[in-house]
Formats: sequence, structure tokens, C-alpha cells
Amino acid sequence: MRIVCPFCGERELGEFTYLGDAKPVRPAAGASEDEVFDYVYLRDNVAGETSEHWYHGGGCRAWLKIARNTLTHEISSVEPAAGVGAAKVGA
Amino acid sequence: MVSLAQTHRLASGGLIDRSAPLNFSFDGKILAGFQGDTLASALIANGVKLVGRSFKYHRPRGILTAGSEEPNALVELRTGARREPNTKATTAELYDGLEAASQNRWPSLRHDLMAVNQLFAPIFVAGFYYKTFMWPAKFWEAIYEPAIRRAAGLGRAAGVADPDHYDKAWAHCDVLIAGSGPAGLAAALAAGRSGARVILCEEDFALGGRLLADGGTIDRVPAAEWIARTLAELATLPDVRIMSRTTLFGVYDGGTYGAIERVNDHLPSPPEHQVRQRLWRIVAKRSIVAAGAIERPVVFAGNDTPGVMMASAMRTYVERYAATPARRVALFTNNEDGWRTAETALRAGLQIAAVVDARPEVSAAHRALAAKAGFPVLNGSVVGVDGGKDGVRKIAVSLTGGARAEVEADGLAVSGGWNPAVGLTSYHRGRPKWQDDISAFVPDSAPPGMVAAGAANGAFGLGACLSQGFAAGAAAAQSAGCSGTAGTPPVADDEAFSLTPLWHVAGKGKAFVDHQHDVTASDIELAQREGFESVEHLKRYTTLGMATDQGKTSNVAGLAIMAAVSGRSIPETGTTIYRPPYVPVAIGAFAGHHRDENFHATRLTPSHHWAAEQGAIFVDTGLWKRAQWYPRAGEKDWLESVTREVKAVRSGVGFCDVSTLGKIDVHGPDAGAFLDRVYINTFSNLAVGKARYGLMLREDGMVYDDGTTSRLAEDHYFLTTTTAKAGPVMQHLEFCRQVLFPELDVQLTSVSDQWAQFSVAGPKTRDLLRKIVDPAEDLSNEGFPFMGAREVSLRGGIKARLFRISFSGEMAFEISVPARYGDALVRNLMLAGKRFGVTPYGTEALGVMRIEKGHVAGPELNGTTTAADLGLAKMMSTKKDFIGRAMAGREALAAADRQVVVGIKPTDKMRRLRSGAHVIPKGEIPGPDNDQGYVASVCFSPTLDQWIGLALVERGRERIGEIVHAHDPLRGEDYDVELCNSVFYDPDGGRQRG
Amino acid sequence: MAEFSWVSRSPLQHALVAGAYGARDVEPGVSLTEVRNFELIQIMARRGRWADLASAAKTRFGVAAPDVPKAIQSPDAALIWSGPDQFLVLSKGGKHTFAPLSQAFSQSASLSDQSHARALIGVSGAKARTMLAKLSSIDLHPTVFPIGAAAATSIDHTSVNLWRGNDRPDGQAVFNLLVFATFAESLWHTILDAAAEYGVSIAYAEELA
Repeated sequence: MRIVCPFCGERELGEFTYLGDAKPVRPAAGASEDEVFDYVYLRDNVAGETSEHWYHGGGCRAWLKIARNTLTHEISSVEPAAGVGAAKVGA
Repeated sequence: MVSLAQTHRLASGGLIDRSAPLNFSFDGKILAGFQGDTLASALIANGVKLVGRSFKYHRPRGILTAGSEEPNALVELRTGARREPNTKATTAELYDGLEAASQNRWPSLRHDLMAVNQLFAPIFVAGFYYKTFMWPAKFWEAIYEPAIRRAAGLGRAAGVADPDHYDKAWAHCDVLIAGSGPAGLAAALAAGRSGARVILCEEDFALGGRLLADGGTIDRVPAAEWIARTLAELATLPDVRIMSRTTLFGVYDGGTYGAIERVNDHLPSPPEHQVRQRLWRIVAKRSIVAAGAIERPVVFAGNDTPGVMMASAMRTYVERYAATPARRVALFTNNEDGWRTAETALRAGLQIAAVVDARPEVSAAHRALAAKAGFPVLNGSVVGVDGGKDGVRKIAVSLTGGARAEVEADGLAVSGGWNPAVGLTSYHRGRPKWQDDISAFVPDSAPPGMVAAGAANGAFGLGACLSQGFAAGAAAAQSAGCSGTAGTPPVADDEAFSLTPLWHVAGKGKAFVDHQHDVTASDIELAQREGFESVEHLKRYTTLGMATDQGKTSNVAGLAIMAAVSGRSIPETGTTIYRPPYVPVAIGAFAGHHRDENFHATRLTPSHHWAAEQGAIFVDTGLWKRAQWYPRAGEKDWLESVTREVKAVRSGVGFCDVSTLGKIDVHGPDAGAFLDRVYINTFSNLAVGKARYGLMLREDGMVYDDGTTSRLAEDHYFLTTTTAKAGPVMQHLEFCRQVLFPELDVQLTSVSDQWAQFSVAGPKTRDLLRKIVDPAEDLSNEGFPFMGAREVSLRGGIKARLFRISFSGEMAFEISVPARYGDALVRNLMLAGKRFGVTPYGTEALGVMRIEKGHVAGPELNGTTTAADLGLAKMMSTKKDFIGRAMAGREALAAADRQVVVGIKPTDKMRRLRSGAHVIPKGEIPGPDNDQGYVASVCFSPTLDQWIGLALVERGRERIGEIVHAHDPLRGEDYDVELCNSVFYDPDGGRQRG
Repeated sequence: MAEFSWVSRSPLQHALVAGAYGARDVEPGVSLTEVRNFELIQIMARRGRWADLASAAKTRFGVAAPDVPKAIQSPDAALIWSGPDQFLVLSKGGKHTFAPLSQAFSQSASLSDQSHARALIGVSGAKARTMLAKLSSIDLHPTVFPIGAAAATSIDHTSVNLWRGNDRPDGQAVFNLLVFATFAESLWHTILDAAAEYGVSIAYAEELA
């Protein structure tokens, strides 16, 4: 598998680490135990298009959000996580 | 020149180098061949027909094919550590001194006692093992399996480590081509001329594919001349790389391909510094499968008799190797292409006994040929072969209309048509489609970026191969972004093919579908009767196509027979799923450089070579080598050394390299706020120049890691992790920074390798450090209190960082210097500490002292413990959110009966403790219901002069003083221990604060 | 009290044996040169401060800060892209040490001294690309990886910074590798293993190529 890192270009799978579903959003402080439980544990087992967190730890250390089809392994988009490239925020 | 007679070698012709004679041995007999031979062609040239015994029935077997599809002619190649079982004689290149042995026979190939299995043939049917060796269950491992493995099976592994080196490499190209036949070469030409970076892989050592045997005329010159001309042109193109002896074996996601290059398999052993094989990972924008087609057998009784050979293979042996598999040849075909073998045989001066053609009509031209050469053409099918280990003698033919005929011959060439090599195109679960005019499966879809061309695509004519290959090459280059022009395509005529499908001829005797796994037509019929109609079930029940050849000659015939008996069409019956690798790949090639001491990368601390000079014993901790203890002369075991080291620290001073801890610079205006969110305790209020112990949870509330973090400046913290979690914590913190808390202005950098860090511990620590540190620096308790952290100058001019933290419980500092000074620092510590008896200590003494002090480490931070379990609940801030806060509050994680860290001491002071023992209430019989925890860490405490430990025990802290039972079924030990305070040493902490 | 000597010791000091290695009957196909005692400072822009950082870099080095995977050569330093919003400053001779750079970038960036955290190995020779293809998964073809190209990538599952410097006078490409110090010896052996068949010439230098 190859992933096109938005910063480094196309790289082989071995440079990346898979974390998991990128859809759940960490609840704000003070959220109920149930909300946090859902965030920590509940995942859809999707056959098709998924959004996933991957880490380019063997490269530029950027966390990436990758849209991938679990049936075809096709990657349709790769985006940096919100905090990557923060130096250009407001530029 | 040739000392030994090659009785079946033609006087001239072939692509062998007659000026380079080679000697080799087969089953100990010395034979001769030439450079350019394969082992199979050389055996044929020497008149050897019997080369092995079959897997199940030990039937005599010969050479069926001339390529990597060979199911029969498997040998043990080489001897000693390089002995390689199940090597195909048809692809093994001959070299001088080659040693090969037949396999699966005892005591000898000609007199194989195991052939008695044939008498029991009726019971060795499909599903035999499943049906026969069911009960009693325990007999399977003890009796049945070993016996079956002795009787069946293939060659013997060397049994010792492979002495050769393998490596792995990456390659990148625009257009990757599998196969160097007419389609592949034409594709390379078109893509290369267009300016593409081209890689062409050919599994053979010679380039040209079927052209090497079948010749033909291309661009009005003989094929051999066209090949030479084409290769010459390709050599002038800057980015065309031809890799012979290289099989493309797999297709992976994103245009990544696996290939195995047999760099030095054609030599007795690799030259010095060279590898035996190289595994390639090739990244290609486009790929063209020009892997050709595989001629398929017809299944008839006795079709496994030595001397029965694929018609195309016979042509290859005669034309390419000038070796004659038979002198009087019979040919059995159902298509026009098979007749070429008759033409080849005649040209080579061989006799033709008869041509048996299963089709209703034979062309006038062929009839004329037969008449001129004086051999009969029989309309009908071969129904039986008379012959044994000496090979074919007589062939029984059933003529159209019912009459029988017999033909005397010493070889039978068979052509049942051709199957395109659809493996590579089907490796992404693609299913090939049926094409009626050639009665074969052809690629329907292919992995992204891949197309098939030529025979692999069902185009069998030479002209079609060239034009399809050329067009595919030009199109692939274009779509890969190359703008050059491909020029003029090579041209040739197409030959007639005209096939009437024929898969199986009913007859008396065993008719083999899968020669390597001894699967017969009747096995398939039986499987169908027993309800195994799905091809996937058929495959697994009969083991059809599951041998090392992966059914290259047998799969399609097998499912054609299944289709016939189940009354379905072949396309309805379908194919099994194709999976890589296309050919067996040595595990050594997958491992490459990564074996033995290179199994993984190794990390060395800055003091490693100094420690090695001291004779330190090293232990692998993750990727690190760490000094475990420093033995001294006269010490009888590790315990004695470790005990000495601990005592030296507790009474004087010692030091230990702790550079393996993960070290992270946390920078930025929001660094403190960031740490507050990742640690359970607060760091934003830590004063500059101070250190604090911190605990991180996972989001599920379990403890993740711990370590000391110091504030070196308003916007700069220096965070440490455990050795084991250095990488994962860095990844976790980057996740927090980039994904969870993108609004924070914080920057992270690993500085693990920047600093050499040593723990200096013991009551004389200050005395020692004062010799090293600039006298102007105040190391007194007032000037540098417990948990202080700051930069200091060392004597001689360099800067260091001092942290007044203690893992051992002693008065201690950690000192860190830039890593290139780490070696100098240990030497200076030794020099300065001589008068104080300074003692280097290893990870064992470190572990002993942390257990004495009740500090938790890996065995307690094991992913199942909470902060409260570790006795650190008070650290959990209630004033802020942090990772894991919400889940740590769950009822079960706060339950009163959780297993918590507690100290243990044996009631018998002499007893040794071992970690892993279960904790059971005293007086009860151990069982899962009363298992209250386990012993996590133990050591012999020199300070207490007895074994002590840390255990995780239900309500442990409420039960201090209680005697419980330690049950260790693994080691067969049972003893009583007392639960006690986990801080065995200096519980008030006076020593470390002093 | 005697002053202590603080001898700097390269992480490759033990493993590197200058001279020839591997195949001897050929012109060495691979040259390996370790550069010792360099300064290496990681500069990471703070939130929203890339423009300030870029202008500070321009003032300090006279060249633009790399914003894409490139290594930019200034008269006395190499600025090597190492990830989004960050780059490394490689220099020799105390021109760009941690303290003055911290001053220069105090408003716009966080700095981390990596001078001792890495070993620097220059790889060149006729077989340099062939050898590196065994170690690196990235495409080093001249059209894809020209002079000045840089990559944050991995070798043997270990992070490295790889960039192409100026060609040697004989026209051979030069690839520079920054590897983590504690991995350096292990990686060095991996490199030697990969290069042995081509013949290797080994040296170390105190100057940047």
C-alpha cells in the first residue's frame, strides 16, 4: 500500500502507523460518562468508505486523516490533522 | 571435451554453449551437460527419464514441462547447509559440480519400497486423511501425523542455518513488464521509446519466452535475430532495465509488486560479498502482464508415466537445448499448435510413431506432412499408457468410432490447449472470464494500472502478441505521463490455433489431474458425489492445486472435470481465488538482511563501548542493549554481582546509564497547558528549575506511562518517558498536539539521542559530583533541593543538566551531557569516583533498588492498572480535564476490591520468590475462584537480606500483615508470603531528600 | 584538582574503520564519509508564526526557509526541511549554535539542539543509488530526486533525513543521511552489508562536503 503524504509525497505503508476511526470526536471536558464511553469504545465496522487516523511516524511525523475504502483499499483523500501546519494559521 | 556420453543430445543446434561442458551428479551418478542447460534438459540429454516419486502413491515420475509450472520433476538441489528441497529441475540452471538428488523415495529411486502405497490406492482417495485418522484424537499428533509425514511429503530441508545472504531492494518505474516473450519485448520497446522508465522481469535466464523454442519470423527476420536486435535497441534506452532470473510473484496495493531475483542460484555458491537471492519491491505506475500461457495436459490413464510430456516442453528441449526426450515420439493433441511438435521432431530427425488428434478434422497440410514423413494420423484419444519407471513403451488409443489402436513409442507429447497465465491479473481477487474460442480463462479485470497482453491475454498468435504488447507498452507509457513516440510496431503473422476442447479421457487406471499432489480424475468425481461442488471446497478436500506448483497445470483441468460431472459449464463452475506468490519464495529472501544479530536495528547507549570494555553483561530491552550487571573476577553468579552493586550504591556511590529513557522537549507558550491535559497531575504550576513525577493515562483510564518532567524555562519542559514507551508516548503526544488539541501552541521534539544521561546515586553522590561539577555550582540541599533541575557547568568547560531525582531511594542526581560527551563523562566519573569506590551498576541493580523503594515499573504499569491500583490516586487532579479522566472514574475502575500494588515477603526468610505466582487466601485450595492476584516483580534485597516483591492483590493495601499463599503451578512451587508496605526501604524518604 | 578532558566521541567512532571494505577486486562503487562534530538545530515555527520565522531565516541565513521537502544551501549552513513548519540547520565551526539561533528565532520558533542526536553520513559513488535502493523505499532517480531534494523517511524502520547535496567534482551524486545517534552503529552495519558487494571506501571528515 502507498499513501500520498500531503507533505512528503507518495510513501510506502511501512512509514505509517494506523490508529483507527477518525470519526469519533473527543468530547469536551465535563461530558457525560456515556459520551466518553462511546468515544473511547464504540466503532462502526464499515465495509466501504472510512475515515481513519494514520501517523507518518517514519517520515514527517504528521497525523493524517485518510479516506479509505475497506473493500478496495482505495485511498480517496489524505488530509493533515487540524494541528499540522498551525504555523501558517492566520497567514 | 565431453567425457561422458550425452546419449540424447543432438549433434548440433540449441542455445547451449558446447564449448562450456559441465559435470553434475544426480543421485550420485556423474553426468554431463552444457552451459545453458537446465537440470531437466541435462537429465534428458543423458537419457534420464525417471526423476522422482510421487507424493502419495510413490509412482515413478518424469519431467512434464520445461518451466516453472513443473509439478513432477522436483529434486533436492545442493548438499549440506545449502540443500534445497522441492527444487524444479526445469528451472534449475546447470552449473559445474551441481549435485541433485531425487526425493520421496526409499531406499532408492528405482526401488522405492513406499511404492507399496499404490497397492492401497483405493483408500488414498480424496479426503482420505479426514476420513481415516479421526479417532482416537490423541493418536493424531503421536502416531498418525509422524507416520504420514514419513511416507508422504517431499524433500528434506537442510536442517541447519542457510549460510547465504539475501537482501531486499526497492525499484521504481513507469512501466513494469512481466515476461520477455514477443509481447513483453514489444511492450518494452514501445514504452522505452516513449521515454518511460521500464523494468522488465523475466524468470528465465534467457530472454525471448516461447520464441526461444518456437522461433518464427518477425519483421521478416528470424525470431532469434529480432530478439538480439530488440535487446540491442533496449540497451540504448537510458531507463530500460531488463531483469532476468527474476519472477514477478505478487501484486500489492498502490502499484507495488513483489519480485524475486535469483542472483546467484546458477552458481554453486554466491561469490564473496554477493547475495544468493534478492527480493524486490517494485513500485510501478503501470504494469503489463506478458507472462504468456501454460500448455495444459489432457487427463488420461497413465498420463503420469515418465516420458509423457507437454508438447511445447518437448519442443523446448529439442529446439532450445538440443536434447531429445524420446527417439520415437507419439503426439496427442486437440489443437493445431500441438502439431508444431511433430514438425520439430521431424526436423530433429526423430521418428514419429503417430499423431493422435482428438479433433474431428485434421488439416490437409498436416495429412500431407504425415504422409510424407510416413506416420499415421489417428483420429481419437489416448486412453492408456503402458510403461513404468523406465518410461513410455506403448500407448493405447481409442479411435473415433470405437476401434482401438496401439502405438509403440518411447515418448508421448500431449497438448490439451493453452491456459493464459492469469495469476498476476487475478491477485486482487479478480476472477478471469471464459473465452470460448480458446476454451480457456482470460483476464477479465486486473488490479489498478495493470493490463495483460499477448498469450497472457488469450492472444496466442505471434502477430497478435507483438501488436498487443506494443500497443500496451505505448499506452502504459502515455498514461504514466511519457510523451515520446513509440514508433513502428514489430509485425508477424498469426498461426492457426483451432482447438476442440478435451479435458479427460475415460479409461482404465489412474488418470492424474494434479501430479504433484497425486489428485486423480476419480478423486474429483468422488468429491462431487460427496457434495463438494464448490471449487473452493473441491480444492481443499482433494488438495487439488495446493502443492508448490499451485496447480499451474492442473487447476483448469480439475474444474473442467468438476463441471462435467456436476452438469455445469466451466464458467459456471468458476475458478478458485488466486493468491500470491506465483512461485515459492524462500523465507530467507523475505528476511533479507534481517536475521541473527541484524534481526532488528539495535540501539546503543553513549556508554556502551565503555561498558563493554568493563565486561558488562548486556540485556536486550526493546531495541536497546543495556548493561545488566558488571561482573567482577571471582563473582560466582549474577546475584553476587548485583548484590555488590546495590550495596555499593546504598553505602557509597554508583552510577547507571539511563539514556534509554525517552526524552522529549516540549516547547511553546502552551507547553504547560498541554502537559496538564496529558498528565493526570498539574504541570503548568511547576516552577522553572523544578522536576515533577507525572503519570499519563490512556483514554480508557488505565495507566499508560510515567516519568519525570522538568521545567527548564517558562516555555520549555523536558519530559521523560519509560524506556519501553519512548516511541509510543512520542506518537501519543503528537496525536494530542495535532489531532486533539490543535488550538494549543506547543512544539515537540525527541531529544532522546541528544543527551547521555546517568543516574548517580548513593550517600557519596555529592562528593563525587563536586569533583566533576564546576566548584561555583551549589549542590547543597539548600542550593539544589530534592526535585531541582537546572543547567550546570562542569569542570573543563562543558555544560550539563542536573536533575535531583531518585529512582533508587538514595540521595541521587541524574546528570546529562550532550551525547558525544557521554563516553567522556563515564570515564571522568570513574576517575573522580575512584576514592569513593564508585561502582557502575546495571539494570538489575536498578531494578532491585526500585523494588526496595516500592517504585512501580513495567510489570506494574502493564496496561491493566489504574493510578489508584498503583497507590497514586492522589495525583489525579480534580480541577482539570486530562486524557483518561472520565473513564478512570468508572465504577469498576474505582471498585474497592481491585487488585492493587502491595509489598510481599516470604514467611520463610530463606525462600526465593518468583514473579508470576498467584496469590490465594491462606489455607484454601488454589482455583480460579479464589485467585486474588499475582506477584509482579521480585528481587533479592541485599538491604533486607531476603527476597522481596511487589504484587497486585485484591484490597492489598487493607491487608498489610496478612499471610497469604503464593501458588506457582508453572514451577510447581507453593509457599506463604506476608503482605506488607510496598516501600521496603526508607519509607520516610529521608535519604533521597538528605 | 586536575581538569577533566571532554573528548567528543562520535557514535560511529567504534564501528567506522577508514579504508576499504567489501569487494576488493573492483573500483569501490560506494564511498561512505562520516562528518563529525557538526551543529544541528531543529527549528519549529510556533502557531501562526511561519511568516515571521521565514523572514528571520532570510535575515540570518540569507536564504529562504524550506517549506517543502528540500535542502537549501546558504553560504555557511544547510537548511533541511524536516516536516511541516520545521527544518534543521546544519553547520560547522560554531557559526550557528543553539544559543545565537535561539536569540534569532525567539519570537517565532521553538528550537531544539540536535547536534549530538545524529550521525551524518555522506554516500556517493557509482553504485550509491543501487546500494541505497536496498535501504530506502524512496525513488532516488535523478529526475525525481535532484540536487537539493530532501526527504524525512525511514531506513530499517528508523527515521532518517536524506537529502541530495551538490554533486562531487567527478559528477557523482552525493546523498546525505542524518541518522539517530543511538541507531548509528547498527545502521552503519546495515549500510556496509548493503554496499559490500560493490566495494566500499570509508572515511571520516571534520568538514561538511
